[in-house]
Amino acid sequence: MLILKTLQWGEQHGYGISQAIRTTSGEVLQVETGSLYPALHRLERQGWVKAEWKQSESNQRAKFYKITKLGKEQLASDYERWGKMVATIEGIMTARRGDA
Amino acid sequence: MRVFPFFRRKTDLREEIESHLKMATADRVARGESPAEARRAALREFGNVPLIADVTRERWGWLRLERLTQDLRFAMRQLRRTPAFTITVLLTLALGIGANTAIFTLVNSILLRNLPVADPKMLVRFGNENDCCVSGETEDSGNYSLFPTETYELLKQNLPEFEELAAIQAGYGNPPIIARRDGTQEARSAMGEFVSGNYFRTFGLQPRAGRLLADTDNLTGVPMTAVMSYETWQSDYAGDASVVGSTFWVNTKPVTIVGIAPKGFFGDRISSTPPDYYLPFESMPVLANVPYVHEPHTRWLYIIGRVKPGVAMGALRDKVNVLLRQAFSAIPALYKTTELAKVHVVLTPGGAGIQQLQEQYSSQLHLLMWIAGLVLLIACANIGNLLLVRVMSRRAELCIRTALGAVRGRIIRQLLTECVMLACLGGLAGLIVAYAGAEMLLKLAFPGAANVPIRVSPSMPILGFACALSLVTGILFGVGPAWIAAQTQPVEALRSGARTRAASASRLQRALVVLQAAVSLVLLVGAGLFSQSLNKLQSTDLKLDTRNRYIVHINPQTGGYSQTQLDALYRTIEQGFHALPGVKNVGICSYTPMEDNNRDDYVQIQGQPPSGKSASWVRSNSEYFDSVGTHVVMGRGIGVQDTPTARTVAVVNQTFVKEFFKQGSNPIGQHFGPEPATTGDFEIVGVVEDTVYTSVYWKNHSMYFIPMTQRPASWKRPLEHDESVYAGAIVIETQRPMNDMEKLTRTTLAAINPNLTVEQFERFDQQISDRFTEERMISRLSTLFGTLALLLTSVGLYGVTAYSVAQRTPEIGIRMALGAGRGGVVGMVMRGALIQTVLGLAIGIPVALICIRYVKAQLYEIASADAQVITIAIATLAAAACIAGMIPAQRAASIDPAKALRAE
Repeated sequence: MLILKTLQWGEQHGYGISQAIRTTSGEVLQVETGSLYPALHRLERQGWVKAEWKQSESNQRAKFYKITKLGKEQLASDYERWGKMVATIEGIMTARRGDA
Repeated sequence: MRVFPFFRRKTDLREEIESHLKMATADRVARGESPAEARRAALREFGNVPLIADVTRERWGWLRLERLTQDLRFAMRQLRRTPAFTITVLLTLALGIGANTAIFTLVNSILLRNLPVADPKMLVRFGNENDCCVSGETEDSGNYSLFPTETYELLKQNLPEFEELAAIQAGYGNPPIIARRDGTQEARSAMGEFVSGNYFRTFGLQPRAGRLLADTDNLTGVPMTAVMSYETWQSDYAGDASVVGSTFWVNTKPVTIVGIAPKGFFGDRISSTPPDYYLPFESMPVLANVPYVHEPHTRWLYIIGRVKPGVAMGALRDKVNVLLRQAFSAIPALYKTTELAKVHVVLTPGGAGIQQLQEQYSSQLHLLMWIAGLVLLIACANIGNLLLVRVMSRRAELCIRTALGAVRGRIIRQLLTECVMLACLGGLAGLIVAYAGAEMLLKLAFPGAANVPIRVSPSMPILGFACALSLVTGILFGVGPAWIAAQTQPVEALRSGARTRAASASRLQRALVVLQAAVSLVLLVGAGLFSQSLNKLQSTDLKLDTRNRYIVHINPQTGGYSQTQLDALYRTIEQGFHALPGVKNVGICSYTPMEDNNRDDYVQIQGQPPSGKSASWVRSNSEYFDSVGTHVVMGRGIGVQDTPTARTVAVVNQTFVKEFFKQGSNPIGQHFGPEPATTGDFEIVGVVEDTVYTSVYWKNHSMYFIPMTQRPASWKRPLEHDESVYAGAIVIETQRPMNDMEKLTRTTLAAINPNLTVEQFERFDQQISDRFTEERMISRLSTLFGTLALLLTSVGLYGVTAYSVAQRTPEIGIRMALGAGRGGVVGMVMRGALIQTVLGLAIGIPVALICIRYVKAQLYEIASADAQVITIAIATLAAAACIAGMIPAQRAASIDPAKALRAE
């Protein structure tokens, strides 16, 4: 979901995605490359992202990933589920003893 | 566009990762790190590059295949790196699998194969016995497989359940026919099978040329016809199309060849002498001069039929039995009410034809299968052992691979790949061995037979069998070592270096060697027994002389001679051969010693109570006893004075005397005959030694010999119908070995009459040696396999001992440093090797003794393993074990303690 979200801001390559997640999360989240690439390839196979070879801003050839329409829908539904889950957890966490 | 998207994606991924690393490096450089350091840091941050690449690729779903090719290439590399190991394993496998496939090829082509006919499943044979060939008596068991012509015709008319019901002469080729193509001089001895007119139709066959036999051919009085086999057409007449429709002189009578049987059809049974001609059986009285074709009580036909689909076999059998009893009840003299009640027939599947050969060879083939199976067992144990040693010596490598992140399952898969690959390669090599071996087996089983209808050419079931066998073997010996390898703890292995030994591995190894030793012993004892049996057979005193003797089989009957012409013919033959320089004796007889023939009759001595015993008898001329080397021990042999008009005399053998006369009484001058009413038939004029006739296995064989053409006055059957006066063989004794005797014989006989062809020409010793073919085959093969087993076991023992020495090098070094002598070290290593051998012997000896029970039937005068055979087997195994143990022991003793300890 994070990868998809990152890609919503524009197409990006693997290194860029890991950097982006790190910076936007304020260095809290570090994406392991060991999960990033398998995840990217899985997303590609599921048709949620599309990949293309391009030159990067530093003039380095890199594989850029772009979110697809299907990917956007997936992201929306994932986000919704995430929201529900957070709300549920929030409810449990803020519940006072005896309420239940 | 690239052809292989898979490879493109693989390079893509590599490039992608590389670009990631480059960008990360570039960022770090921008932050002021040195390029080298930046690269290292980027790599560290990235993690295990190949592993991540692997995990990523797994998402594609291609990895399984990719891993397989990787494993295969890796296995190939590993095998090439250790050629000695690979060659040993491949040889072991090739021999193990090869031997098994060879035997299976033979089994497949003899025991399991159907006749090459249309829809063999629908064929049903009447009877399950291979009774042969002509019988006028009842069966005590009431189970019939041989039938009279009239019974066949009755069955055929009353069984609409069959599409066709065919009858076949049971004992075809005995005697062979003589065929001469019209317009040629050369008459050939050939196999003729007399069959019913619907024979080919029953088998659903189409002619290769012309037409096949029809019902109208099988009538009395019609012009005689025959169908030639394709093989004969090709080999004797070069496929000449004009053969069809031409006249052949069969046993001097004109027969038209109406067609050629289909290619590959070898008759209704597997035989080393398949029929050359198929003739309608109604022509048999004319052609073969036999009286029995329409005798109601004489049974001489096999019956085989093609049932209609959906016929219930149980009801059919009951109906056949009723019909059979009805047919037999027409001969009340022979089939009394009690006999009749027992009469029945067993309906058997007829797809494989008449199973004479199958019955003859099945016990031998099964025995060979067992032997070959045991050899394969040893081979597998050996390979298991070799692989175990290999895995153990590669433990360090495996540990490092595990430590580097190799998954345990992957390692096992790799080892298994290696095994299966070895097994497949071995299977391939084994297949080559198998074809050579099957060819050899066939030659051993049917020496000198030109037309054995058994093909050892590649066939799918055999290929499948070899592949399955090699795969099972591969998995069998792959699992053990792989399982042990999977138990390796990387830390432990890396920590303790070469000193740790997997206890379970070494136990497994030793157990395998013990098993090998035990099985080898069993095979060695078996080899010893069969060799001993063959030796005993061959060294039996046959009471004859084979030096410079030649046996010529002839048949004056098929040569067109009538009984009244025979006396003159025999004189002419004697004179003809005596005219050849170097010929010493010319014997003429109905059959010779040690050939597959016999004729017997009841014997009743004059003045004695009815004996109920019988004896074999042979007609012979005056020079016969000398020509085969039978000595006269009392009285005289048959002489020139014993003419047809002289007093009828007989010469008996010593067993005959023992059997029929009290000890000490003089048999000379006594009279005997076949029945109580005819005891005056023959006067005994001499006694000869017990020359062995028919088979060495026939003990206490009483025999008598009478002159070629003498006939007692009491014999009712006229001379014109007495087949016994026809000679079957000429025995020629020469003064020195004569290489051109065969040619001389043929020209001599052809000069007398071109129709008097040679059925078979053999040296006397060849004829005798042919009678031991099966025994020789078993003996040779069991020795071969025994040696193979011994060799494999030695290799196995050597491997285990050498491995343990290598493992214990530091320990032995310490022992020697502490003062252990070289002798002590040798003793210690040898003890280890010998304990396994002794354990193997302890298991093997009782097993061997038990196994003898199952092969006793195939041994000659050997009931149990004698001490000699067992001692030799034990000594051979022990000697092999000593040699196999000595080499590593010597190596252990030559360990330099200083070096061994420094290596620590």
